[in-house]
Amino acid sequence: MTSVYASWITLLSPLAAAVAITLGGTAISRRAAGVVATTGTSVAFAAAVVAFIDILGEDPERRSHLDTAWTWLGAGKFDAGLAILVDPLSIFMMLVVSGVGSLIVGYSIGYMDGDDEERRYFAYMALFVFSMLLLVQGGNLLLLLAGWGLVGLSSYLLIGFHHERPSAIAAAKKAFIMNAFGDATFALALFLLIAHTGSVSFGALEEVTGAGSTVTNLIALGLLGGAVAKSAQLPLHTWLPDAMEGPTPVSALIHAATMVTAGVYLIVRLHSIFEAADVVQDFAAILGAATLLVAGLIALVQTDIKRVIAYSTMSQIGYMFVGVGLGAYANGMFHLLTHAFFKALLFLAAGVIIHALAGEQDMRRMGGLRRLMPFTYWCFLIGSLALVGIPPFAGFFSKDSILAASLDRGTLGAILVVVGLAGTFLTGAYTFRMLYLVFHGSRSAYATEHHLDDGHEGPLTMLVPVGALAVLSVIGGWIQFAPFWTPVSDFLAPVAEPLAEASNWMEVVASVAAVALGLAGILVAWAIYDARRWRAPRWTAARRALEEKLYWDRLYDRIFYSPAVWLARATLRWFERPVIAGSAVGIGVGARESGEIASEVQTGYLRAYALALAAGLAILVLVFVSVR
Amino acid sequence: MIAGSAGNVVVWGVWFVAAFACLGSALAVVSFANPFFSALALIGNLASLAVLYLLLNAEFVAAAQVLVYAGAVMVMFLFVVAYLGGEADAPWAGGPSWQVVGAIAAAAAILVEIVVVIGVAAGDGLSNEGDISSAFGSPAEIGRLFLTDHLLAFEVTSIVLLAAAVGGVILGHHSRRVDDPAVGGRG
Amino acid sequence: MLGPDITWYLVVSAILFSVGALGVLLRRSPLIVLLSVEIMLNGANLALIAFSRLHGESDGQVFAITVMAVAASEVVVGLGLIVAMSRRNLALDVDRLNSLRG
Repeated sequence: MTSVYASWITLLSPLAAAVAITLGGTAISRRAAGVVATTGTSVAFAAAVVAFIDILGEDPERRSHLDTAWTWLGAGKFDAGLAILVDPLSIFMMLVVSGVGSLIVGYSIGYMDGDDEERRYFAYMALFVFSMLLLVQGGNLLLLLAGWGLVGLSSYLLIGFHHERPSAIAAAKKAFIMNAFGDATFALALFLLIAHTGSVSFGALEEVTGAGSTVTNLIALGLLGGAVAKSAQLPLHTWLPDAMEGPTPVSALIHAATMVTAGVYLIVRLHSIFEAADVVQDFAAILGAATLLVAGLIALVQTDIKRVIAYSTMSQIGYMFVGVGLGAYANGMFHLLTHAFFKALLFLAAGVIIHALAGEQDMRRMGGLRRLMPFTYWCFLIGSLALVGIPPFAGFFSKDSILAASLDRGTLGAILVVVGLAGTFLTGAYTFRMLYLVFHGSRSAYATEHHLDDGHEGPLTMLVPVGALAVLSVIGGWIQFAPFWTPVSDFLAPVAEPLAEASNWMEVVASVAAVALGLAGILVAWAIYDARRWRAPRWTAARRALEEKLYWDRLYDRIFYSPAVWLARATLRWFERPVIAGSAVGIGVGARESGEIASEVQTGYLRAYALALAAGLAILVLVFVSVR
Repeated sequence: MIAGSAGNVVVWGVWFVAAFACLGSALAVVSFANPFFSALALIGNLASLAVLYLLLNAEFVAAAQVLVYAGAVMVMFLFVVAYLGGEADAPWAGGPSWQVVGAIAAAAAILVEIVVVIGVAAGDGLSNEGDISSAFGSPAEIGRLFLTDHLLAFEVTSIVLLAAAVGGVILGHHSRRVDDPAVGGRG
Repeated sequence: MLGPDITWYLVVSAILFSVGALGVLLRRSPLIVLLSVEIMLNGANLALIAFSRLHGESDGQVFAITVMAVAASEVVVGLGLIVAMSRRNLALDVDRLNSLRG
């Protein structure tokens, strides 16, 4: 059927683009590489739209198709095929990934223009889009894990893209290692699953709930570990701010719109086991709430524009985790969609600024850019308002629906709503602090010096995607306005039945409270940073703690990094050098020395040889005679 | 000593003379300093051995011993010794001390072992001498055996002799660089 | 059989062999070494003849004649070597010939 074929095209066309760029090498121009990559992802998006339209024509209860290309791994009764799953959830994610992805890859043509290694960049970007699509389209857990690992790889390659910078390399390693920890827990969960059910199909997850609550909890916990690492939630969150070392479009695509949302997708896709292990699901929601709060606080003191947006991402994904942790699956996915729009918008707009200011990212050196770059300013403003959740922009509809659904979930839900509302206040504060610092006020000296003042703010390839995302941030939220019309929830319901249904008054309460707190945050930011009525509070101890990112990095350094380095040094000194290198040298030296000793027998002294003969004869006669 | 008939006494007497001559000349060979005297002593050794062979009814072998060994081989030896001249240096000198000790120990060990074996086996198998026909040890008998049972040994031996002849010729061949002081024994 | 038993001949043969071995191991002149080897060979011959007489078979004598032929060949080559050595002015001393030293 059409949706299946279209889905295969979606999956494979970015891969084809990546292969084409790799094989083309230096034979194709740098710009051509960008065009190839953009075409690949755009074709993927077009095919995803076709699949979407086709699947809408089907009966809602029968919208799930598992298409296997061939058996990939077969061992005895275990069977894992190369299969894609075409159902509402996967099509939803396909549209987000390929749509936003093609906009960002197109933007990169302008942003990375002039870089020597542009072709490598586009090959990696195409590889990433393919990996993410494999993750969301994978028809069994093994393929999902394959996509999972591949996105981690692409992330590593792209964070460390500017490999001549040691900070970039360190950040790439950090991201990869923390993700590897999550991958390990994921794999352990899979092993348990295979041990108990012998299969890695999605259906096996429902089977294994019969194996007892310990097994179910362990599997769910392992899967959650993977999700937490990939989505940069507490406690595996420290890699995301450092990942801003990568080029800005990378931050937009991977670390805002798609890869970090993979954890949310995972929980929705595997909701059956999380519902069976409800302790773990509640734990996911609690982690999300904690992350939301912590990230919001740290964002208040950041000076790098990309880091503010990164912590904001961490915080918003915390919201999504609260949503899916409490069983409001469609709400969480809806927020994923709108977040993709406005977060990508913010990152790309920041990219325009960074590009215009020749690479400067420190907000203290910016200021008054409103008159200099008006288009960017308005897009950034739209994105900020959407992020804070002010109607009629996109974030309002999605974020508040999560808060509303939480009210339906008893005590835990109520506590998390309070945390979420506090987060809304912080979101307003840090977002508009950023806006005011960058765009308002007087033009900074740096901006005057370094601005590439040639009339327009940036190349068209950069401004068009920013504009498109701004439009989406305005109208994108209107596709679902609970409780009036809910096409998203209806679309996703067959895949994952929500556990929480917000009643009308819950919606009203949540919306009013959230908007009010958001506006309060904006007001505080305005008072401090724009109108300069109040001074920023001193609170040195708190400020220092937040600047140190609440000492998480120090803690991990103390617990993991320093002992590992110490162990590595000790092993080098006590084992590697003496034993391994020593034995290699020792074997050579030993062979030579024993050879020298052995050669002492060769005296050239004839009579000694004759004596040896005679003595041997005497001994042999003795032996033969005694052993009759 | 079993004293029997007069023939037995004579045989015993001849045996003693021959045996002692044999052993004495052997000791002389290894102890004389002058190689010429050693070679002459070996001739004596071979002659007394021929007598012992005769006592063992091996007439043909005794004849061959005298003709071939003492007659041809030893003459060759004497020629070479005369050509080279004999050094009259101390025969037992030189070499590390362990060589002397080891040599005496090894030789003594071999001797003791063989004597012990003979002693142990004596009385069992070594007393029953077989009866012999009149053809025993005759040339006809030896010849017949050579050409029937031991034909291969016969033929191979002829090849060995041929090889020795060729080797002798090659070794005696006059090469250009006879006086090569660089090719010498290092101390 | 008249005279001593076979065992007496065998003892003589053993002593001959040992004396020859001593000569090989303790003399430095190659000529004397060669002569000592002859003594050893003759000792072996004596043993062969004695056993041949013991069993009444002439095979031992055949073997002894073969030994004699081989000994003759060996002497030819050995003497050739010694003459060649002296022609090259090498010392006729087995201790000095150690260029096979390893």
